[in-house]
Amino acid sequence: MSGASNPSQPMDPTGHEDPEKLAEFEQRIADGVLIEAGDWMPDAYRMGMLGMAEHHANSEIIGALPEGEWITRAPSMRRKLALTAKVQDEVGHGQMLYRVSQELGKSRDDMLRDLVTGKTKYHNCFNYPAPTWADIAMIQWLIDGAAIMNQKTLADGAYGPYVRTMNRINMEEAFHFKSGEDMVLTLMSGTPGQKKMTQEAFDRWWPVSLMFFGPADKPNAESRPPMRWRMKVERNDSLRQRFVNRFAPAAQDLGLTVNVVTKDDKGYVTSATPDEALMLDEATGNWSFTQPDWDEFWRVIRGNGPCNQHRLSLRRFSYEQGGWVRRAITSGTVSTPPAA
Amino acid sequence: MQDMLTNPTASLILAHADDKLMLGHVQSDWTGLGPILEEDIASSAMAQDDLSHALTLYEYLGNTYGLDPDVIAFERDPADYMCCDLTTQSDEFDWANSVVKRWLMAAFTQIAIERLSRHDDADLVARCGRILPEQNLQVTHLERWIKRLAQAGPESQARMQAALDRIAPLAGMVLEIPGRLVNDDDGYYCGREEIFKQWTDQLQITLQDAGLAATFTLPDRNVEGGRRGKHADHFHEQLTEMTEVRRIEPGAAW
Ligand SMILES: [Fe+2]
Ligand SMILES: [Fe+2]
Repeated sequence: MSGASNPSQPMDPTGHEDPEKLAEFEQRIADGVLIEAGDWMPDAYRMGMLGMAEHHANSEIIGALPEGEWITRAPSMRRKLALTAKVQDEVGHGQMLYRVSQELGKSRDDMLRDLVTGKTKYHNCFNYPAPTWADIAMIQWLIDGAAIMNQKTLADGAYGPYVRTMNRINMEEAFHFKSGEDMVLTLMSGTPGQKKMTQEAFDRWWPVSLMFFGPADKPNAESRPPMRWRMKVERNDSLRQRFVNRFAPAAQDLGLTVNVVTKDDKGYVTSATPDEALMLDEATGNWSFTQPDWDEFWRVIRGNGPCNQHRLSLRRFSYEQGGWVRRAITSGTVSTPPAA
Repeated sequence: MQDMLTNPTASLILAHADDKLMLGHVQSDWTGLGPILEEDIASSAMAQDDLSHALTLYEYLGNTYGLDPDVIAFERDPADYMCCDLTTQSDEFDWANSVVKRWLMAAFTQIAIERLSRHDDADLVARCGRILPEQNLQVTHLERWIKRLAQAGPESQARMQAALDRIAPLAGMVLEIPGRLVNDDDGYYCGREEIFKQWTDQLQITLQDAGLAATFTLPDRNVEGGRRGKHADHFHEQLTEMTEVRRIEPGAAW
């Protein structure tokens, strides 16, 4: 699951770079040549890619938590196996992305420590609660679905190691999405109680999915470094529109209602009314929709979301509990763990 | 269900399946929370193997007794679960407990499944044949970790020894005669002493290499614990959690 958000570093300063090298670098990108870890790159590019890959890695690791909490409760052997494998995949994505980040100059230890001390961030969507099994279905369907859309465009970027990682990850995300779709379909073909549970979970996750792609980009985004350097290749609003075009009709087909909701500070829905704006424009093929609550988005991203503390403290607890194992591994004669 | 629960061979298979279910259940919960990403991934893979092994044995019993494997896995009376006391032990979020417990179990199960694979039912033999290679990998992997952690300095040595001290006294109960409804007879679970010796001899070699110490005892045939449905409180909590979603809508598809 999860995708990288906008590159987090401010990306203007290239003034100190060698203009010839910079021009050559930008020409390579314009020519569609992939940049490799050992290639010359502007400092701002290195910092930006590192921030992006690290944020993405953090998101995979934290993203394992909400679903991980449901492994022990999965309602059949098949679901239990699939959910465990899914969460394991996300940890694997984190591992791959930390490796990409390591190559850009930050050690894994530093990254894991910065994550648990709150110095670095992870994707906002994992700060929301998953109180029922249907939430797990929604995460795999909507959030993995959104992640695939985002990561497919990221696989079209310019940084070789990140692009190759996206391609590998996306194959697994496709499985997660399929399994999510199957879970939602099963629940919506089930008892009235299961359908109700599913609609309520959908109400919780629909606005989170819309926020998934981040707020609207600046008007001149294409000419600013993240897009000019193909660190990202599509505007957030355009991704969001594609998401709605794909998922609003799919939800309706399944018997779900796209609602506009209000939530309390625990992330639970306090009111839900059908989104009157939801409509297909036949001419453009685009669905219009009501924007999510962007004030809430900023509140949550600043650390005041329903589950920020919970997720981070569990991650920190696991980091601390595992400290002796990491110390043992690095103090032993060999510095890598035995092969699986 | 009752036919299965009163049959000695079925009970033996069920005991192994329930061991695998509980081991997989507890270990899969570590996914995303392991001490090192690489080992998080590897141990989750082993948890999935254990759950798959449980499933293949439940499927075998399901075919034999006309039962849904999920019903066998999730819907028995707590007293009809035959997992041994070791497998339901909580890890208390301590990796040393997890490694020691899984190693003791994996080494035992390797021997037990190997024996089961000499059964005369071809389907059961084939299923055991698919379990064994993965079981062998688990033993190798976990043995390596036992030695590795025990030899990595005083801190981890002490933690491993402490886990062993905590867990080893329960270990012999893997050879408790399973099935509270099964009539005990002398032919049943033949070679109990022999299995115990084979298993603990193997354990002692690794312990010696690792610089750890433990004694194991084979409990009396009539001692009753998990395999005969006398479970510790934490098993009941685990089962309640495991069936929480299913119980919302009994009989529904999920
Ligand atoms: Fe995923
Ligand atoms: Fe992922």
